[in-house]
Amino acid sequence: MYEIWLTLNILFELGLQYLPAVIGTMLLWLMLFAATRPGVGWRRALLPAVVVGAIATVITFFITPGMTLSSFDDMGYWVDWMNLFFYAAAFGAVAAALAWPIAASLCRKA
Amino acid sequence: MSDKPERLSSTQPADGGRRRFLFGASALPAVAGAGLPTGLALASTPARAALKTAARIVIAGSGLGGLAIASRLARELDGAKITVIDRKEIHNYQPGYTLVGTGIWPVGKVSDRNADLMPQGVDWMREMVAEFDPEADAVVTDRGQRIEYDYLIVATGLHLDYAQIEGMDVAAIGSKGLGSIYPGPDAAEATWRAMDAFRQKGGSALMTLPETFLKCAGAPLKVTFMVADRLKQAGTRDASRIAFHSALDNIFSVPRINDEVLRRWEKLDIPVTFHSKLVAIDIGSRRATMARPEGGRTEIDYDFIHVVPPMRAPDAIVNSPLPWRDGGFAAGSWLEVDPKTLRHRRFPNVFGLGDVNGTGKGKTAATIKKSAPIVAQNLIDVIAGREPSQHFDGYTSCPLLLREGSALLVEFDYNNNLTPSLPMIDPLQDSYFAWVMKYRLLKPAYMAVAKGRV
Ligand SMILES: Cc1cc2nc3c(=O)[nH]c(=O)nc-3n(C[C@H](O)[C@H](O)[C@H](O)COP(=O)(O)OP(=O)(O)OC[C@H]3O[C@@H](n4cnc5c(N)ncnc54)[C@H](O)[C@@H]3O)c2cc1C
Repeated sequence: MYEIWLTLNILFELGLQYLPAVIGTMLLWLMLFAATRPGVGWRRALLPAVVVGAIATVITFFITPGMTLSSFDDMGYWVDWMNLFFYAAAFGAVAAALAWPIAASLCRKA
Repeated sequence: MSDKPERLSSTQPADGGRRRFLFGASALPAVAGAGLPTGLALASTPARAALKTAARIVIAGSGLGGLAIASRLARELDGAKITVIDRKEIHNYQPGYTLVGTGIWPVGKVSDRNADLMPQGVDWMREMVAEFDPEADAVVTDRGQRIEYDYLIVATGLHLDYAQIEGMDVAAIGSKGLGSIYPGPDAAEATWRAMDAFRQKGGSALMTLPETFLKCAGAPLKVTFMVADRLKQAGTRDASRIAFHSALDNIFSVPRINDEVLRRWEKLDIPVTFHSKLVAIDIGSRRATMARPEGGRTEIDYDFIHVVPPMRAPDAIVNSPLPWRDGGFAAGSWLEVDPKTLRHRRFPNVFGLGDVNGTGKGKTAATIKKSAPIVAQNLIDVIAGREPSQHFDGYTSCPLLLREGSALLVEFDYNNNLTPSLPMIDPLQDSYFAWVMKYRLLKPAYMAVAKGRV
């Protein structure tokens, strides 16, 4: 329990550090949802959104070590790989969440 | 207040029990980007019934320890009059000095306004405590104000005793190959300037370690690893020598970490001289004088030196009845607290928190993270007429930088047990995760500690 509380607090403080980016991303997401009309293809849009998320995950996975002044050579053991993967997957999830309403609107038009 | 406890007679300090604690969570990077919206919902803290009291509580010092305990007490006591005394306006994230001093972080990342961290509902007196009078339950400030208290928390940090090194001039840090990351952000930045200039040409680096207790005892080791790495990056390592001089018979008090670092330094060609203490420096001629316990002195020429100052309690503590009067902690006039409860051993309405404490381990932010809730609860117990219920185990954490991009995540307790927060963490393994902790995640954790939330 404590670990979860600590994690949430660290995320909260990180969020404060990058507040404009966080608010901007959330607003963008809400605007994208608000811009969709009734009857858009939410279910059909899931797959493209997941693909976008997967691509973002792969890209983040490869660029994160360099962006944190490190490299793949510094991955010492599985804990490092696991953390890098989760970090990348988190960005992938954000990308997927942003892609979903866009893809849904496009699916309707298609 | 009539509920103040009776004075205690001195008893021998007891060792802390062992409880694992976390100063970082391994799954954090997973959510560091995407999980932020979740975090933003975290404006409130877990609800807990506040104890009603009219106690007058004085907190001396508003560093990490003072802020953390002030935030907790302001929340967990209803009606208490809490006064924080400290003139400092800027709050510096000291663990960041190592990153600034080795060229990893820009200096701007380490400073915040103290006013932004001071909790609501406390009186902040922008003065310094000049005199502690625990016999009379009062402190006197440097402006002559006398403040009486029912309970006192001493969180004054420590004093960097550069004056013990003849010829040392803190203002000269950054020039003539002189580095020392300790005095503050500017000194850390200046240290990087000196190190950066040194690594371009290479030469002889002298790394020092005094014999006193230190805040973050891993910092001198981190700087040494980073000097080696910076030289390597600049292509001047082969043309350079790095010598580490320890005033002690070790370089780190935890034997397993000590041995591990020595093993790594042997591979990196960093020889260590034990029982060699920096006692004088000629900054202009770049010459250090090292003394041996039996009396001999050696002069060493260097191109770059990292000076780690001897450390002791601040003068106001030294000149008060509060320090240890005998034993190993008396030398630095450290606060005489019980290592488990962190309550003063002779003045039961006094508690200590942070670097000032005379305990076997733990002059780190990680220690404060674990001990601030313990001190808060123990004080609440005492106010409520109970004995302190919480015991501290001496938890300390030290992400030991090995090179740019990799670190060890070392956690231990009073008994030198390695106490990784999560079972999968290998404290002796070069790790990217440990690096990311130090580089990105510890400051957010630190801010949450300062705000009394974790
Ligand atoms: C280079 C370096 C690297 C570090 N690395 C790490 C790390 O990696 N991990 C980690 O956990 N910790 C690390 N630390 C240690 C950590 O930063 C300290 O242990 C922690 O900040 C101490 O907090 P404190 O509140 O006890 O003292 P401080 O933060 O120093 O605050 C003490 C306060 O008391 C005030 N004060 C002093 N005298 C008086 C007086 N007479 N009256 C009123 N106020 C007074 C001062 O103005 C100051 O504001 C590092 C420290 C340094 C210097």
